[in-house]
Amino acid sequence: MPIHEKELIRPEDLRTHEQLTVDGVDVSGHWSTFIRSRVVTDYNEAMQEEVAALPGGEFIHRCWQCGSCTNACTVNAVNPDFNPRFWIYLVRMGMEAELLRDKDIVWQCVSCNKCTHICPRDVNPEGVMKAISHWLELKGHTPKSPAMVFDEVFSDQVIRRGKIEDGRTIRRFFARTGQALQQDWLIEMAKRLVRHLPIGLLARLGFSAAIAPRTRDWSRARAAIEEYVQAEHAAQRSALGLDAPDSPATTREGA
Amino acid sequence: MNDSILIVGGGPAGLAAAHALARVGRHSVLIDKAERLGGAPILSGYAKLVPSGEWAKDAIGGMVERVRGDSLVEVHTGATVRSFDGSPGDFTAQLSDGATVRAGAAILATGFTHFDSLNKPEWGFGTFPDVVTTTQVEQMISSGRGVRCPSDGRKPQRVAILLCVGSRDRQIGREWCSKICCTVSANLAMEIREELPDCHVYIYYMDIRTFGLYETKYYWRSQEEFKIKYIKARIAEVTSDGTKLIVKGEDTLVKRPVTIPFDLVVHAIGMDPNLDNKTIASTFGVELEPHGYLARRNTYGNMAETTRAGVFVAGAATGPETIDDSIGQGHAAALSALGSLGAAKATA
Repeated sequence: MPIHEKELIRPEDLRTHEQLTVDGVDVSGHWSTFIRSRVVTDYNEAMQEEVAALPGGEFIHRCWQCGSCTNACTVNAVNPDFNPRFWIYLVRMGMEAELLRDKDIVWQCVSCNKCTHICPRDVNPEGVMKAISHWLELKGHTPKSPAMVFDEVFSDQVIRRGKIEDGRTIRRFFARTGQALQQDWLIEMAKRLVRHLPIGLLARLGFSAAIAPRTRDWSRARAAIEEYVQAEHAAQRSALGLDAPDSPATTREGA
Repeated sequence: MNDSILIVGGGPAGLAAAHALARVGRHSVLIDKAERLGGAPILSGYAKLVPSGEWAKDAIGGMVERVRGDSLVEVHTGATVRSFDGSPGDFTAQLSDGATVRAGAAILATGFTHFDSLNKPEWGFGTFPDVVTTTQVEQMISSGRGVRCPSDGRKPQRVAILLCVGSRDRQIGREWCSKICCTVSANLAMEIREELPDCHVYIYYMDIRTFGLYETKYYWRSQEEFKIKYIKARIAEVTSDGTKLIVKGEDTLVKRPVTIPFDLVVHAIGMDPNLDNKTIASTFGVELEPHGYLARRNTYGNMAETTRAGVFVAGAATGPETIDDSIGQGHAAALSALGSLGAAKATA
């Protein structure tokens, strides 16, 4: 029969000694198997409000913990630790330390929305997963994921120019994620492009890469979009009790 | 042969029965041991009723007015029945105020008694002034004083409502579900949030039984509109750290113990059988069912029969009951009593 208490030993506390002898006695094996106090001594009532202030998290307060989301979950099927029902509860009751133990898997949600379609209360658990990931990132608990960096590079360009220039997107993405531009697969792709593309198309590619054209009369659209994005970010950061966001001049520099 | 009907108890069920009989031109004698008519909703000062949202003093007070102004209803308050003899069609009751009542049938609408929280000392009632009952919160609201901590009159920042206090508890011989406390608690939680929007309200439950259509209006609405938090935990004990109440239990959904500070703890008290039920049973010669409520002879065939012919029962005297169902049962008992008089007449 499995020993329930073993689940309560935190792996981060464990010390393992393959060979340990003290005063001639062999004491090899696991040490520090104490179970820390698991008593919840207060509710952090701000946490639910903060997650609810982020896009997708609006309906988290509706959850009545039936577990339909976790049952339906694609990721849970391969990783039983991925438990939307549980995280929704931790956020609702403000059990922040407990949530942080899972901070590195929350973002694994693949947005299949099976949970959204099965939820009897329209909690929109997929949106809540996004909001929780976003919350963890804004609070500085998790670094920006490469996917997030890519999204930013991509949307910064669109906002600035109304157009995408692929070469620029790739260069900036590699630069921001600290990856080398001279990658074998990229060099090979460039070689083949040069070899096989019609000369006219190549010329246009080169032209775009060189001067990065923008959509005609884009400046007013850009101003409107920037204003909206800035207001949204400011609202989110203030809901989370964080400082004002960086100015667009620094974040969009050279996009 | 006597055509009058004796009604014992002037709460919602008794008032409904008296009114129904008057509507068909039948004389009744309505007696209540309290000095006022209205039963628990009036005597205990309930606030807004489930499910209409009307104030008890208007809704039930209106029923009292209607009966008080009816010449076909003879009212005796501050009176109990000392003895009850005879047979269907011809009963005689001696009242404690010296009056003698002759009646062809009787309706027992003797109601219930609120659970006394002193019987669950581990939950702090009677030890800590800021542990109160749902009835007290009803009174805070209905009196217009608002929900405050009795110890110092401050507005609570965080309130815990403990469900099933005096219900579903074999330790204290109360196995029944009191039926209304979940809905009443959700209703009160919303009223607290309405008056004190900065106050957080938590409901500690074993199951939520906001049955039927109350699901939408109370359980869902309390969460979706009022952000009441429901926590599946039966609280082990309520103590104090000197400034706040400390609620201890196990949050069963995360399998973790909780010791959470609260300003105000509310017991959602259940419905006990009327304390007088043994006296009532012996005076009227009717039987009690195993929990101590008045037994009904028949579930489907004839409504409201007790184990004694010509004596009927309605409302929370038969078990935990809602106000609107008690009123319906009062009407059913009135009709059954009328029918029994017809039958008695035919055999006379």
